[in-house]
Amino acid sequence: MRPILLQGHERPLTQIKFNAEGDLLFTCSKDQVINVWYSHNGERLGTYDGNNGSVWTVDVDSESRFLVSGAADNTMRLWNVATGKCLYIWEFPTAVKRVAFNEDDTKVVCITEQRMGHQCAIRVFEINREGDGADQSQEPLHFFNPIGSKATVCAFTLMPDIIITGHESGKVALFNVKTGEEVENNERAHGSDVTDLQLSKDRTYCVTSSKDKIARIHDTKTLMVIKTYTTETPLNSAALAPNRPYVLVGGGQDAKDVTTTSQRQGKFETRFWHKVYEEEVGRVKGHFGPINTIAVHPAGTGFASGGEDGFVRMHHFDDSYFKAQPYGAVDIED
Amino acid sequence: DDAAEESNVSAELVALRKRLVDEWNAWRTRLKAEFFGEGGKQDGLPADAQSEKEEIE
Repeated sequence: MRPILLQGHERPLTQIKFNAEGDLLFTCSKDQVINVWYSHNGERLGTYDGNNGSVWTVDVDSESRFLVSGAADNTMRLWNVATGKCLYIWEFPTAVKRVAFNEDDTKVVCITEQRMGHQCAIRVFEINREGDGADQSQEPLHFFNPIGSKATVCAFTLMPDIIITGHESGKVALFNVKTGEEVENNERAHGSDVTDLQLSKDRTYCVTSSKDKIARIHDTKTLMVIKTYTTETPLNSAALAPNRPYVLVGGGQDAKDVTTTSQRQGKFETRFWHKVYEEEVGRVKGHFGPINTIAVHPAGTGFASGGEDGFVRMHHFDDSYFKAQPYGAVDIED
Repeated sequence: DDAAEESNVSAELVALRKRLVDEWNAWRTRLKAEFFGEGGKQDGLPADAQSEKEEIE
C-alpha cells in the first residue's frame, strides 16, 4: 500500500472529505485554503481561495456541485465545486467550527464557536439549488444555542429535523433543530472533547473520536454505545470503512503537550480496529505529527489522512486488505 | 494438558467472537428495519417517503 503524498498545504490540515463518487478529495487547512485533488493519482485539481482565517471544516454535496466551508474569519461559504467560484458568504459573530449537508443536499447545519460573549450556536440554512447557487438567504431556517456544553461536531440524522452532536464535555446528543430541544443525550459518551463524528453510509449509526483516547460507535436513534475502541493517545478523528469491518482512528498528542520524546513514539499512525471484536488489527505510519482528520473512500477502496504536519496521505488498499479475514471467515453486516 | 487447555481457550474465543458477530448483525438488521422498514434498502439512502415515517417523540 504505497501512499500518495498530497503536497499543497502549508499548515496543519483540519478536515478532509471525499465526494460521493470518491474521485475527488477536498482538504482544508489552517493555511486558509481549501484544495481539491484527484484521489486516484493525487493531482491537485484546484483551490477555493478567499478565506481570511483557518478553514476549520468542509463538506460537499452528493452531486459534487456545491461545497460548503466554515472558517476562523467568522464566515461560512458556498462554493461551486467545478469552477472554484465562491457563490455566497454567510457572516457570523464567531468562527464556524463545523458544517454538514443533509442527505438530500437541501440543508446545511453549522456550529459557531462560543467566544467574546457569544454562546455556541447551531444554525440550519436552506440551500437554494436553483440557478447558479448564488441566491441564498442570509437568515437561517433554524437557530438555537445548545444547552450545556458547547457543540464541537454535528451531522443530520435520517430522522426529520434531528441532528446528532458531539460536545466539549464528551456528551453526544440529539437535537430537534426546529425547537432547539435536546431530545436525547448520553452525557458520558466520552470523558473529554468529542473531536470527530462520522456517520455510516446509511446514516443509521456513527463513530465518534475523543481526546479521552477512545472512539465509539453509537446507535443514532437511541445514542446507545454499541462498540468502544480504547487507545493510548488522544484521538482527533475516527472513520468507518465501508464494506469491511474496520474503524480507522488517528490522533496523537500535540507537539506542545509532549514533554518526553518517548511518548511520541508510534503515536502518529492511523490505526485500524476490528469494528465488531474491538481489537486492533493494523497500523499505517507516515505522518510526522498528530493525525487531525481521516476519511475513507466511499467505495471502501482506500483512505486519506490529514496531519498536523501539513501533509495529506492518500492510501489505496491492496488486494490483501480485501482478502484478509482476521479471526476467520464470517459475514458481518456493514 | 497444556495443548488441551489452549484449544479450550481458543474455542472460548471463537464462541465469543461468534456471539459478538451475531449480536452486531442482529443490531444492524433491527436498526435497518426501524429506519427503512422490513426488507428495506440495505445501504444507501432511504426514499424520502420512507424516512418521513420516522418521527421521534
